[in-house]
Amino acid sequence: MGFHHLDHYAGTASPVTRTSPAARVVGAVGLALCASLVPPGAWTAMAAILALSLAVAVAARIPAGVLLVRASVPLGFLVLASAGVLVMAPGTGVAGLGPLSVTDRGVVLFASALGRGASAVVAGVVLVSTTPFPELVTALRELRLPRAVTSSLALAYRFLVVLGEDVARIRRAAQVRNGGRGRVARRHLAAGMAAAAFARSYDRSERVFRAMRVRGYGDAMPTLAYQRMDRASALRVASLLAVGATLVVAARVVP
Amino acid sequence: MAHIPDGFLSPPVLAGTAALSAAALAVATRRSRRELGDREVPLAGAATAFVFAAQMFNFPIAVGTSAHLLGGVLVSVLLGPWVGMLVMLSVVLVQALVFQDGGLAALGANVLNLSVLGTGGGWLVYRGLVAVFGGSLRTRVAAAAAAAWGSAILIGVAVAAELALSGAVRWGPALLVLGGIHGLVGVGEGAITAAVLLPLLRARPELMRPGDLPATTLGRWTAGVGAAAVVSAVAATLFASSSPDALEAAAERFGLQAEAPVWSLLDPSAGPAVAILGVALAFAAAWLLLRSVARS
Repeated sequence: MGFHHLDHYAGTASPVTRTSPAARVVGAVGLALCASLVPPGAWTAMAAILALSLAVAVAARIPAGVLLVRASVPLGFLVLASAGVLVMAPGTGVAGLGPLSVTDRGVVLFASALGRGASAVVAGVVLVSTTPFPELVTALRELRLPRAVTSSLALAYRFLVVLGEDVARIRRAAQVRNGGRGRVARRHLAAGMAAAAFARSYDRSERVFRAMRVRGYGDAMPTLAYQRMDRASALRVASLLAVGATLVVAARVVP
Repeated sequence: MAHIPDGFLSPPVLAGTAALSAAALAVATRRSRRELGDREVPLAGAATAFVFAAQMFNFPIAVGTSAHLLGGVLVSVLLGPWVGMLVMLSVVLVQALVFQDGGLAALGANVLNLSVLGTGGGWLVYRGLVAVFGGSLRTRVAAAAAAAWGSAILIGVAVAAELALSGAVRWGPALLVLGGIHGLVGVGEGAITAAVLLPLLRARPELMRPGDLPATTLGRWTAGVGAAAVVSAVAATLFASSSPDALEAAAERFGLQAEAPVWSLLDPSAGPAVAILGVALAFAAAWLLLRSVARS
């Protein structure tokens, strides 16, 4: 259990990996925000922001196939989540769907949600493909997220692996004792396993707390080599977001 | 659809939910620090890993549809509402940043729904029920199950409200569909919460928080507010109508637009000067933010 399979392009030399992780987070969130601010039906602006996100993916040297595979799950969810808008949006009915009616505004909002969401998904995939999780956590700390959140995220990353091993051990112990035979017994077993996993996590957190205190834990988790925000990174991301903002403003000003 | 993807919410709703989330989480950070001190970080880390792992298991709710445990009430019952809210913030953050589950721009809305309302609101209901019905093990477990169900409905209603305020859906169908779906999800959420809590509290009774039992005026007030929140949420989903609601009708009557006045600056009549100003402001804001981070 871990997120190592996601950051394959973190070691690839590219303009994106030369940009500091904190700037990458700001860039990804900023692009998603630009896409969200484009008004519904502004197809040119939507396509331009999607092209901007794809250009960043190309600059990060992420192959098209990998990008497509990684984006397919969130995009699939986006299609499912957007489908309801077709019939739930206010507007004039343009087609029947059983007892429901697809509205004209629903069609525009559905396509707009897909267009805007796709840019955000691509920006997110680029971020996670080029940034290892520990760097992402340090970037969030650099961006002034509460210390309690970033430090607990850093610990959770490690705990997740240990928790997976714990659950596997509990399951193995139950299986050798013939536990979980039958549907009801399996449900009881799953609930018991979850309870045991929580109790073990709680106890482990106490031990980790004592160990951290003994080792002189101060206000934050120590960080090893980390690419801090520099002038070039800031300029690169600010320029990217200025292009995004131009497109948003153009979409809102030009009818 | 507990997680709202990008592309649905309007700018005022994005800004409003982000501001509310930031304010609520600032309070949660301070209060959890005060309650737990240095112990806060390892405890929240362990709980985050647990919730994250627990959310990977889905349960069926209808034909071809499944949902997963949210875990907000479960964690808040065991660790308190403030740590619970921070744990859910961490989970939502990882889901958005690493798995694109929920939008990056809609992060404020998702944090408000799942962390602030789902966890904080659910805990309020739990605390109210425990204050009214007592703090025995079985009562606590039943109260947690009911609170988990109520929190799922609260989340559904919040999602519906945000989508309707954004003009993406009509109020009536949104409340009915999203409230109904989350009502179903809530049954599974409540059942799993109870199924995990019962053996856990039997084996480790010291995890029952004594502070959840205020037989005081505060307890009675929270009970009243919690019960009212659940009843309102359920009533909203059951009696939702597709007709314009009172707020919409009043807004139409007085000629008010759905969008905030600041966005009217960007309409076609505003001219290119506003466009240039907007681009310059975006560049300056991003530049100042990133430079201030670089200097620190």
